[in-house]
Amino acid sequence: MASKRPDGFTICNYAFLAVFCLITIYPIYFVLIGSFNDGNDYMRGGIYFFPREFSLANYSVVLRDDRLYTGFYVSILRTVVGTATSVFFTAMVSYAMSRRNLIGRAPYYWIHLFTLFFGGGLIPYFLVLKNLHLINSFWVYIIPTLFSVFNMIIFNAFFREIPEEIHESATVDGAGDFRIFLSLFIPLSAPVLATVALWNAVGHWNSFFDAMIFTTKQDLMPLQLFLMKMIREADVISNSQYVPPQVQKKISVQTIRMAAIMISTVPILLVYPFLQRFFVTGFMVGSLKG
Amino acid sequence: MTTERGPPCLHISDASLAKPRRPGLLLRFARQWQIQAMALCGILFVLVFNYAPMFGIVIAFKKADYSVNLMRSLTEAPWVGFDYFKEFIADYQFRDILLNTVGLNLLQLLINFPAPILFAILISEVAHKRFKKIVQSISYFPHFISWIVFGGIVINMLSVETGVVVSALLKLGILSEPVAYLGEPGAFWPLIILTSLIKGLGWGSIIYLAAITSIDPTLYEAATIDGAGRFRRIWHITLPSISGTIIVFFLLSVSNLLNSSFDQLWVFQTPLNLERSEVIDTFVYKIGITQMRYSYTTAVGLFKSVVALVLLVAGHLVSKKVAGRGIF
Repeated sequence: MASKRPDGFTICNYAFLAVFCLITIYPIYFVLIGSFNDGNDYMRGGIYFFPREFSLANYSVVLRDDRLYTGFYVSILRTVVGTATSVFFTAMVSYAMSRRNLIGRAPYYWIHLFTLFFGGGLIPYFLVLKNLHLINSFWVYIIPTLFSVFNMIIFNAFFREIPEEIHESATVDGAGDFRIFLSLFIPLSAPVLATVALWNAVGHWNSFFDAMIFTTKQDLMPLQLFLMKMIREADVISNSQYVPPQVQKKISVQTIRMAAIMISTVPILLVYPFLQRFFVTGFMVGSLKG
Repeated sequence: MTTERGPPCLHISDASLAKPRRPGLLLRFARQWQIQAMALCGILFVLVFNYAPMFGIVIAFKKADYSVNLMRSLTEAPWVGFDYFKEFIADYQFRDILLNTVGLNLLQLLINFPAPILFAILISEVAHKRFKKIVQSISYFPHFISWIVFGGIVINMLSVETGVVVSALLKLGILSEPVAYLGEPGAFWPLIILTSLIKGLGWGSIIYLAAITSIDPTLYEAATIDGAGRFRRIWHITLPSISGTIIVFFLLSVSNLLNSSFDQLWVFQTPLNLERSEVIDTFVYKIGITQMRYSYTTAVGLFKSVVALVLLVAGHLVSKKVAGRGIF
């Protein structure tokens, strides 16, 4: 196989994948060079490969915006707290649902499953959150995402693979179910917990819809909503912000947006090499096969 | 617990023997209070966050628009029957909204559902290990950035004055004059499909790639000896082996039918392309949350759920007739 000359299909395949990768990478590079270019100069167009007039003015404006720091704070907090609580809570329910002797297991299961196919819609959901006093509260990011039926199904598939003897011997030793879940099942299912945690974390970090609908306070504004306001509503420089005249000459709406996009992407670029090892090696996928 | 039927006398004695060993339901329930408590936490959650909103649908049939105290109007507001449904159907935007919601979702199902399967097959055909890893790392990356960031990047690329796409197309002679794609209703659907592909293709392929790598390699060797070419191996070995995974994910995307990807649409929607970009989800947000027309938009939301259900059942019946097996 190794010494065989590549056939037409192989050449096309490699070429296609290479082009696809270029299409994926280039836009990020495009924004990177734009963000480091002088804003007024950028508006003349034609910057495709290198910055023409290098400038840090765009970053200096974005980095002076208070909303950026609030955004980072809210986003990091909701990602960490939201992911930890959601994975724990969903895993706990799944543990109970995976016990074969659970009375009412079948009806419980159908109650969960039905929610995948029918829901009340946005407005009634909004009303429920309003009645729970979650509107305009930080907890609106945490509590409504505490549990996910979809993740429960994934946990269940994994928990069922754990040998029953482990549970039995722990019971003989006098451990209750909560204890067994905490000190046996959680460590045993680390791969699947990590996988679901990754999904959750990505969802939390990237979401802005809930913030847009359920909050109006500026100190609850996550990073993505801040970016949304910049990109969609041209709300680029905060009202309270003073921009010195010599900086003003070197910025433009577009390049400031680009700088904000880059700043918000840096944390992902930093963790991506670690994450990437996690799913390219098949650790994550192996955990889902169970 | 035998299923075989013994002689009648033996059967009776068996039952009477088993009875005292099995404690009552209440006692068994009390003994397993720990797992019951854990399971009921989940039930309580879906009752509050999934089932309670279902009862809120009542306001679609009541006059509760602009209401400040919605809890009160839930019980006290006057009934209006199907008035709000009629209003929506009579809305000048109705035809466009329905067409966009159904059209975009069906297109996504038709193109963006099978594409990752194809992509996984292409990656699995790469023999060069390092190239394969690079392709994987790069193609998974866009999944990790939000639609806002990704959309912001695409908007910059599409800009007429400074973007790279329009000037490249002009240079290549594909376009004769500059086009502002975001202001062009006709360009909206392709824009959504293409950006979904770039953002989701790699990540969507992970699960299929895993299924492909777990296929027994001796199957391929045997097929090669029997003279099967690459495409016949893919068709007769790869696809049948991963069909289980494909069906599971098809079910998941079908159950999500008509739930538009709000984030994505919201980024690319502009007042100029509304004609092809307004879907039920964006309409409900704009009219319901920002204009406080609660009853009207609850009715619109319910309309969507019903249409989705009808499409689901229709798809089930068609697939049963054509392919011999239903969706469920």
